[in-house]
Amino acid sequence: MFTANKKVDKLLTLYLPLTMLLSFTIFPIYWTLNTAFKPEGDIVKRPLQYMPINPTTENFVTAWTNVGFATFFKNSLIVGVSTVLVVLVCSTLSGYALSRYQFKGKRSFMIMLLCTQFIPRAMMIIPLFVIFKNLGLISNPLSLIITYTAIEIPFTTILMSGFISNVPKELEEAAVIDGCTKLQALRFVVFPLLLPGIVATGVFTFIYTWNEFLIALMLTNQQSKFTLPVGLSTMMGEFSINYGALAAGSVIALIPAVILFAYAQKHLVNGMGGAVKG
Amino acid sequence: MIKKKMTTAFFALTMATGMLLTGCGGEEQAATKTKKEAAKSDEPVTLQFWDENAGPARTPVWEEVIKRFEEKNPNINVEYVGIPNSSAKSKYDAAIAADDMPDIGSVQTTWLPEFSIREALLPLDSHFEKSDISKKINPSATGVNKKITQDGKLYGIPYAQNLDALWIRTDWFEQASVQEPKTWDEFFTVIEKMRDQANNRYGFTIRGGAGASFTIQRAMFAYSGLDFFDKNGKTNINDPKHVEFVEKYFSYYDKLTPKSDITNGYKEMIAGFDTGVVAMVHHNPGSYGEHNKALPAGSYKLIPLPTTEKGQYVAEGGNAVNLAIFKSTEHADEAWKFVEFVNSEEAQSYWNQQTGQIPTNSDVLDDKWVQDAQHIKTAFEVYNNPDTKLYEPPFYLPDYRAILDGVVDPGVQAVMSGKMSAKDFLDEWAKAIEDSKAKYDQTFKK
Amino acid sequence: MSYSQGVTETVVNSNKAVNRKKIKKDKWVPYLFILPSFLIILGFLFYPIATVFYYSVQHYDVSAPYYNGFAGLENFKEIFTNDKMFIPSLMNSLKWVVTEVGLQLTFGMILALLLNQTFKFRGVIRAVAFIPWAISGVLASTMWSLMFNEHMGVLNDLLMKMGIVDEPQAFLASTSTAFTSVIIAELWRGIPFFAITLLASLSSIPVELYEAARVDGASRWKSFIYVTLPQLKNTIVLTTLLRVVWEFNNVDLLFNLTGGGPAHSTTTLTMYIADLAVHGSNFGYGSALTVVSFGILLVFAILYLKLSRYEKE
Repeated sequence: MFTANKKVDKLLTLYLPLTMLLSFTIFPIYWTLNTAFKPEGDIVKRPLQYMPINPTTENFVTAWTNVGFATFFKNSLIVGVSTVLVVLVCSTLSGYALSRYQFKGKRSFMIMLLCTQFIPRAMMIIPLFVIFKNLGLISNPLSLIITYTAIEIPFTTILMSGFISNVPKELEEAAVIDGCTKLQALRFVVFPLLLPGIVATGVFTFIYTWNEFLIALMLTNQQSKFTLPVGLSTMMGEFSINYGALAAGSVIALIPAVILFAYAQKHLVNGMGGAVKG
Repeated sequence: MIKKKMTTAFFALTMATGMLLTGCGGEEQAATKTKKEAAKSDEPVTLQFWDENAGPARTPVWEEVIKRFEEKNPNINVEYVGIPNSSAKSKYDAAIAADDMPDIGSVQTTWLPEFSIREALLPLDSHFEKSDISKKINPSATGVNKKITQDGKLYGIPYAQNLDALWIRTDWFEQASVQEPKTWDEFFTVIEKMRDQANNRYGFTIRGGAGASFTIQRAMFAYSGLDFFDKNGKTNINDPKHVEFVEKYFSYYDKLTPKSDITNGYKEMIAGFDTGVVAMVHHNPGSYGEHNKALPAGSYKLIPLPTTEKGQYVAEGGNAVNLAIFKSTEHADEAWKFVEFVNSEEAQSYWNQQTGQIPTNSDVLDDKWVQDAQHIKTAFEVYNNPDTKLYEPPFYLPDYRAILDGVVDPGVQAVMSGKMSAKDFLDEWAKAIEDSKAKYDQTFKK
Repeated sequence: MSYSQGVTETVVNSNKAVNRKKIKKDKWVPYLFILPSFLIILGFLFYPIATVFYYSVQHYDVSAPYYNGFAGLENFKEIFTNDKMFIPSLMNSLKWVVTEVGLQLTFGMILALLLNQTFKFRGVIRAVAFIPWAISGVLASTMWSLMFNEHMGVLNDLLMKMGIVDEPQAFLASTSTAFTSVIIAELWRGIPFFAITLLASLSSIPVELYEAARVDGASRWKSFIYVTLPQLKNTIVLTTLLRVVWEFNNVDLLFNLTGGGPAHSTTTLTMYIADLAVHGSNFGYGSALTVVSFGILLVFAILYLKLSRYEKE
């Protein structure tokens, strides 16, 4: 009786809503996969095929080999990883300052961070182009790393400051009294508790750089320096859209992100609870 | 130790930022220096070429053309940069504004007046006149290019033209024993006749989304056969003939054409045709590849837009893509070699055959593939017909495109959804054109 | 572990006065910490933002350089007195932002709470649930437009198979469904954003708090209201604020799915700006509109932070 009740309870509060939300999430992904494995003619054919009748990997081959996809993939990876590293350092530091210190100009700094997000990116393209042209960095991954870092810092700083606030100040202070230096306290006490936050911040930054299109297109004048989204967008010409190759290319592009999520989600568990328990 | 590491990292970062900030002046000088050095040496020259309509269909074709060019000119490298069509104009805009342009660019005719007035392009008249290709390239296409620029110079060599036309499902027409429409009256009757509720088939699909303005403009001028401006410099946009046409054309929406037409862009419209929902679509030979993939051979073909009441074909001037050389290039002669090569019979023939566009080099006309390609041949015949009327929209008006995007596109949707009358729509359009023209004339013709 | 045990024990005995003194001595520390971020933003975003303000008082049309020149407040006058698109597009922005953020937050919260429970294959399911966030704008818009399509869209096919509709619907074409359709597509992409941040925050709530609540006999709902929500407050306030700003400026899907139509019914202010500036190359007027939207967002942000009593218990 008791266990039956518990089962019904779990069904209503967990499995049912989760299934509903997940079907909404999964369907378009499934449809992308379905499209990616269909030969070109079958994609727009009716009746619709819910499973590819003539499954093929031809689209993946097209995407990977024909359009320099491997190069785009590598470029995106370089930009993504570098941006994540720089962003994490900067935002952990500034997030720490925001959550742990009261200082003059704190409010102004916050407002400044927010203000950077108020301008549509499309309006910043030409001035950004001018800056990087003067620095001689057009078509150089550095231009993207810098721009993405600047654009991501406000959000990640605010995010990190939130996560840091969640770590009780007392823990850190206690460590300092125990004879740790401030930095040791950060390293051994705050950092482990902060890991979920750092992981989430890193994931956000990576995904942003992985998918950003407009700035990457504008600041790159060499085909061999294109990032993935720019490369993918050239699969849709005005007179032809290769849905299959686009879907296949996107599926390939998804792989690192999925691996990242699989890794990241492990850290989004009760890290805090574990540390304080005892 | 940790402290040391963190401090080092921190200082490295600050220093890097500082260097970047102060690096401005130095980098720039260095850049100009290397450019000068490059110009002096005899080393292979690299030209950057921007394709304004990159995609799976065109990119490989360009790569092949470039390969052939490089084989003939071993000391010139052409670096291809493919830009997706929807972002191409803004990419050029930023490049021109920041003075960092490619050597050669593929440029739509409508951009020529603007780019030339922004002093981004090199006039090509003298190169062109000295070259053999001047005898081959369709003079009406180069004529339009000269006419629309402020100084009357030639800034782009058209390497492909396009023509609005109708794709029709010949098999359905036969089944229903309906004739191909020759006049606009017949066209409207066909829409009615080909509606097949039982099979969920429509006679026609209207482009109401992105690009609607081009389609309606070309359709209504094809109906009226008027010029864009009358003798007194007033626009004919809101001529009663156009009002009559637009009213009728859009009245079919949602009754005899699909409801989704109102946001139809290129891909939706073509999907309607290729999935077997509509019998007729107003596009151009460029979509041949898509139909070829989706529909059985012989079940579709291209026919010209219906004629005016007088039986005349009408085409919009300047429906072409050009190669232009940017002023900032250090290798104008080499760049011209590439332009010349792309416009040679060999390259134009290959390029246009692969992409389904209409060549401008008259030598290509005799090629076997042109004679065999029904859609190209049809379009060619329209351009070659001495009676075909060409009207020239004022591409030189700086807000010509903005008016199409900002007034005409939404106006089309307003008329389709019944929120605006055809007359009000055309009046608004005409007024926008006239205001812009008055402002322009005032600036340039004092 | 033993180390943190030691820490917790000492927490009780900690002497706060000592720490206060220490913090005072390190007055320069926070400035040092924010310096890298500050420099990068100043170096690379200040100029682009300043340009927008500068051009807002100029006639600046990249395609017609001969008209360019100082405009004073003319652009602004035009916006407020003559521009028929300004108010409707602002209203659309409002509608877009409120629905999008509201729904994303609600569903994101539900998803985070669900994924925070323990069940079989949790790792895989979590990774899958986050995938939409990782899908690029190019693919998301192409896939959704393919699925919404009247003739070959899978949604119509499904709905017809289930007998919900009799004939194919043109979801993106009718003023009554276009907005909702894009909302759904964007919602699909936005839920994981909240789910991830909230899940990260949920992870940092001490288990003791829930245990205490359970001892007090609080129901699940009550412990959500009295334990979870207050702990998540700062995260919610800040992520919602940022999301509002982002959604305000987000035109990806709108642009690709409806292009602002039919008849401007899905044109938001940012989309209008993008149309003007990027496609119409009228950067002067576009900048003026951007300045106006900048003002609106700034006032909103300040009010929002005040009213939500951010950082106050």
